[in-house]
Amino acid sequence: MAQIDHTLGIYNDQHQLVATGSVAGNVLKYVGVCNKESAQGSHFNTIISALMNLLAEREIFHVFVFTKNKYSASFQHVGFKELAHTDLGAVLETGDTDVADYVARIPQAVDQAQQRVAGIVMNANPFTLGHRYLVEQAAKENDRVYVFVVQDNVSLFTTDERRQLVQQGTRDLSNVTVVSGGQYMVSYVTFPAYFLPTPNEAIRYQTTIDARIFKNQIAPRLNIQTRYLGSEPFSRTTGIYNQVLRKELPPEIMVKVIDRKRVGQQVITATQVRQAIAADKLETVQSFLPATTLTFIQQHKRTLQSRIQEGMTINGN
Amino acid sequence: MEIKKTAIAGTLESSDIQLTISAATNGISIDLQSDVKKVFGDQIEGVIKQTLSDMGIAAAKVKAVDKGALDCVIKARTIAAVQRATETTEQPAWEVL
Repeated sequence: MAQIDHTLGIYNDQHQLVATGSVAGNVLKYVGVCNKESAQGSHFNTIISALMNLLAEREIFHVFVFTKNKYSASFQHVGFKELAHTDLGAVLETGDTDVADYVARIPQAVDQAQQRVAGIVMNANPFTLGHRYLVEQAAKENDRVYVFVVQDNVSLFTTDERRQLVQQGTRDLSNVTVVSGGQYMVSYVTFPAYFLPTPNEAIRYQTTIDARIFKNQIAPRLNIQTRYLGSEPFSRTTGIYNQVLRKELPPEIMVKVIDRKRVGQQVITATQVRQAIAADKLETVQSFLPATTLTFIQQHKRTLQSRIQEGMTINGN
Repeated sequence: MEIKKTAIAGTLESSDIQLTISAATNGISIDLQSDVKKVFGDQIEGVIKQTLSDMGIAAAKVKAVDKGALDCVIKARTIAAVQRATETTEQPAWEVL
């Protein structure tokens, strides 16, 4: 979502640009305003309403913005609510729905306030016995486990496919609830790398925001006390994410890192499963997969392979 | 009338109000933000509620960002948002005015 869908500008009588702003999906970007010769905030309010009306024409009513902390108040003044901030910046949302609505749609037990509740966030592209092992550990140690499946549809397996495979692969665990991570957990929306100088810093910022949204907006409303993570020996991004979660979540939320499940000497990864699909060597990863995922892949092998041929990357997350 | 989809009306400019109306299962809920909420909050919400009731809207979720709008503006923006949300802009609700 690095690209911009639309940019607006406001010109004064002398044809000088006095305000501009852009939209990318449901995210406002590159808002810039000149306050010379105008009432403080007036151009800002005009450009923000113009952008919101533009999005409304496209039926987009739930809007996010990333901004420096010093501008957070300006956005709050036009109806945005801050979800989280770090030293580097803040993320805010406005519109016809918000994080409270998102959490309200998640099923809860009547006595959830007295329960031990855990959360796991996964992309599950696709759901392996490694994911299953992580969920099982959490299910054993808690009364209730929420598995949040990443919502963005940018993986080899579509969002629906990923969620269904997680659901099918955990059906026998009665205290596990599978839900969508929405736009609040590991989503495209929470990747504001554009105003940060280096990739590593961007990852650190993004993951800190993600961790704080989980800690302050999601977990308290569901009484989640523990977040489970799989250890991450391979991916730099996920490695940093795990580090940041361990730094940010405690003491309010415990972090339990579960060692990756192995089959013999091999660590299970979904990356290898995707590579095996591409190479048409499913038999090499058969032992990594629950029957439900294996059957799905066997039935849809051609579709999956043609997605890879059409350019879907398989080496990321 | 029933809210069919989310709709927005008005702007964030001075003396205006931006209203976002969306579907709800029951009742009217209003999330109002205004610099003059302490003094005029009840009045603003009252105008929105009255207008909704005049238009036969029993259930809706309203987000209102007020920038010092007068009652007539609040009423006009509410009508516009409701007509968009109920897809009835072809039949202006003159009698409500």
